[in-house]
Amino acid sequence: MDAMAAIKQTFFQECEEQLAELEIGLLAIQDGDVNPETVNAVFRAVHSIKGGAGAFSLDDLVHFAHVFETAMDHLRAGRLAPSHEVLKTMLRAMDVLADFVRAARDGGCVDAERSQTLAKELRALDPDGSGAGSEMDDEEIAFEPVLMDQSMFDDELEAAAAPPVRLFTIRFRPKATLYAKANETALLLREIGLLGEMAIACDASALPLLSELDPEGGYLSWTIELLTTQDEAAIREVFEFVEWDCDLDIESDAASAAPDDIDLAALIQKMQATVEAELSALSPPPTRVDPLAEASRKDADASADPGVIDLAKARQKKSEQAVGEHLGPKPDQGAAGGASQPTIRVDLDRVDRLINLVGELVINQAMLAQRVMEAGLARASGVATGLDELEQLTREIQDSVMAIRAQPVKSVFQRMPRLVREVAAMTGKLVRLVTEGENTEVDKTVIERLADPLTHMIRNAIDHGLESPEARAAAGKPEEGLVHLSALHRSGRIVIEVSDDGAGINRARVKEIAASKGLIAADASLSDEEIDNLIFLPGFSTAPSISDISGRGVGMDVVRRSIQALGGRISITSRPGRGSTFTMSLPLTLAVLDGMVVTVAGQTLVVPLTAIVETLQPKIADVHGFGGGARVIAIREHFTPLIDVGRELDYRGENADPLACVALLVESEGGVRSALLVDAILGQRQVVIKSLEANYRHVPGIAAATILGDGRVALILDVDAVVASSRADSAAFEQSLATAG
Amino acid sequence: MPFAAAMRVLIVDDQLTSRLLIRGGLQDLGISDIEMAADGEQAFKIMMGKPAHLVISDFNMPKMDGIAFLRAIRAYEPTKKSAFILLTGRGDKELIDRAKQYGANNIIAKPFTIPVLKAQIEAIVGKLK
Repeated sequence: MDAMAAIKQTFFQECEEQLAELEIGLLAIQDGDVNPETVNAVFRAVHSIKGGAGAFSLDDLVHFAHVFETAMDHLRAGRLAPSHEVLKTMLRAMDVLADFVRAARDGGCVDAERSQTLAKELRALDPDGSGAGSEMDDEEIAFEPVLMDQSMFDDELEAAAAPPVRLFTIRFRPKATLYAKANETALLLREIGLLGEMAIACDASALPLLSELDPEGGYLSWTIELLTTQDEAAIREVFEFVEWDCDLDIESDAASAAPDDIDLAALIQKMQATVEAELSALSPPPTRVDPLAEASRKDADASADPGVIDLAKARQKKSEQAVGEHLGPKPDQGAAGGASQPTIRVDLDRVDRLINLVGELVINQAMLAQRVMEAGLARASGVATGLDELEQLTREIQDSVMAIRAQPVKSVFQRMPRLVREVAAMTGKLVRLVTEGENTEVDKTVIERLADPLTHMIRNAIDHGLESPEARAAAGKPEEGLVHLSALHRSGRIVIEVSDDGAGINRARVKEIAASKGLIAADASLSDEEIDNLIFLPGFSTAPSISDISGRGVGMDVVRRSIQALGGRISITSRPGRGSTFTMSLPLTLAVLDGMVVTVAGQTLVVPLTAIVETLQPKIADVHGFGGGARVIAIREHFTPLIDVGRELDYRGENADPLACVALLVESEGGVRSALLVDAILGQRQVVIKSLEANYRHVPGIAAATILGDGRVALILDVDAVVASSRADSAAFEQSLATAG
Repeated sequence: MPFAAAMRVLIVDDQLTSRLLIRGGLQDLGISDIEMAADGEQAFKIMMGKPAHLVISDFNMPKMDGIAFLRAIRAYEPTKKSAFILLTGRGDKELIDRAKQYGANNIIAKPFTIPVLKAQIEAIVGKLK
């Protein structure tokens, strides 16, 4: 990828961030946020998108962003009041802007009619009514360039040419031997003096009385303070020939040569306060009712004339507030925006490599533990306790690494308000979306694959769940329906709930439809819960007519299948007249899997736990054979195909004796139930998924592999593939089942 | 006369895309000593540590905007002489006046091409070598 393409990619990433910020800001303004910084942040988001788009010549995007920006500028300047209608237009314009961004990125195109309508509406927001000025102004900037003060370079050169002056303190104490070798201290001192400016102090305190004085002894010492641009080596050179005959001690003030520590925060604060105060003094007195002045008036002294807006006070307050915002740590920032958190962008490949390595570590650690156990070491032995600690550490490392890939579900949740607006507009329903737990984190891949099912569920909740405003009013409910979207962590999984306060599932109707479509027997007696779960069956749709919203050829069975593909489960609870709640539970990561470890013809296999509905011991009376070795098993009066996994995978040529085996009732793609015959169940455990394709090659019927604690490779069964291939094997099966049934 | 290779430049913009684009342009001009900051406050801290010869700053940024940053630079002795180019979106007359008032050396309208960037830099620092 060349540099420009890489920057372009960054641009689109940033666009997503800015669109999210735009939405948060607009919604905040809609909720009555009058902080000028909020309005400015919203303006800046559109402005930045426009600026970046211009650099890449994305003309359509630039053009629409420009019209949007102009309208936003009216809002910012106070020429346009943030009325409900205005914000509604802006929110829709934001959706179109997002379309433009995505079209520019993915090469699609934008609904021209919609964007033109919006552009027209935005132009109509111009308070002058002319809509002028919203055309691209290629107005030249009238600014005369000012030559820079070139002396800056000279100053620097000078500074570089003149090495810093340093202060050395030299303590020099000659020994008698120095004099004995005919050295002259005065000469040495004079030579030091040539290196710079010096001050000498002679210490004669060691000088004895004359009677005790040795004429050839050394009693004097000197302390020299030298200011010089030379370094210590130059000073030592002077003493080169006498260094064995004296005590020499040289100290420099290198540390104090650094500039004084500046209290940066205080300085910036002071400057900002000055700047803000001056700026607010410069700005003309507000001609409209400034919301801040208004707020300040309310806070003003009770003694002040209540009818007069104290402008000076308002200004002062504004500047204080502005300074406070600049410097004061915002308590909610870390959690909400995380803007102040230092972050780095890391190539996803690197993270994945790390995750793979940690997977290896987990396996190795498990193998080691098994070996140690086999060796029969005592629980309390040093090795065993060390191993416990290793296990603990490994788990912590695994959690931390997984956390790198984890992202808050916010990125998906953020797309929902737009969806809700669109669906509400199409269905003519009034909807309020409440989200909760946006900061709950889950693996990035899970998040990416969550968007589609979630979109579908929200559509469904509005289209099928909520009643029309009239029906709601008639039922004594508020006209505005509520859709609640929440996420939370529960026992190592993420649980996402979509609930509505609509009419709930019409069970009589659901049962009727299921029966008419042959999904259940007409006289089947089902519990409420069973009826509710019928909507997940393939081919089920309760909408009387296929609406544009939910009936896009996909039903709740598709939602369930995509959730299952992620190793998740979905269920529904409903109360007539009170609404329905869909609950999805998903694993936090796709790198590990909850599996049931089974044996088949001497091989160890892992069956994903999410596919298994129940396990049972077949009885001879329940198993019926058909031609071609095909068999079915009656489970609560339903005939279910019985698939011998060992035969399907060619582990054995003959059907196993069902009585000596265990049957796993599984549900595969499309809600098809089958019973898989395995020899025995060894237990349940979490396994690290290893790609078989990457390490070996694709094997039919096998999804991936894992390494068990004893070091053996175990294959993870691809339930869908095994069921599909078994059905293909016995093409006559369906037919014979039909005649038998 | 300034040599491109000896120029120290600080880019200040809250948008990463923008910073990267400008940096790419400067590198094309042979300038390699480049620092980047995402807002005025961060930029000012960099300037206090090691003043850049040339500052290219966006106007609309969170925390401290381009004009406030310009004023801070002009008010602090060691950074007083640094050349300052303000980047702005459109021909906002009032903003241009303020930039002039507080001692900006030049203004470039976004988006701009590399030749424009080069011409506007040379207009204030002299021909780059």
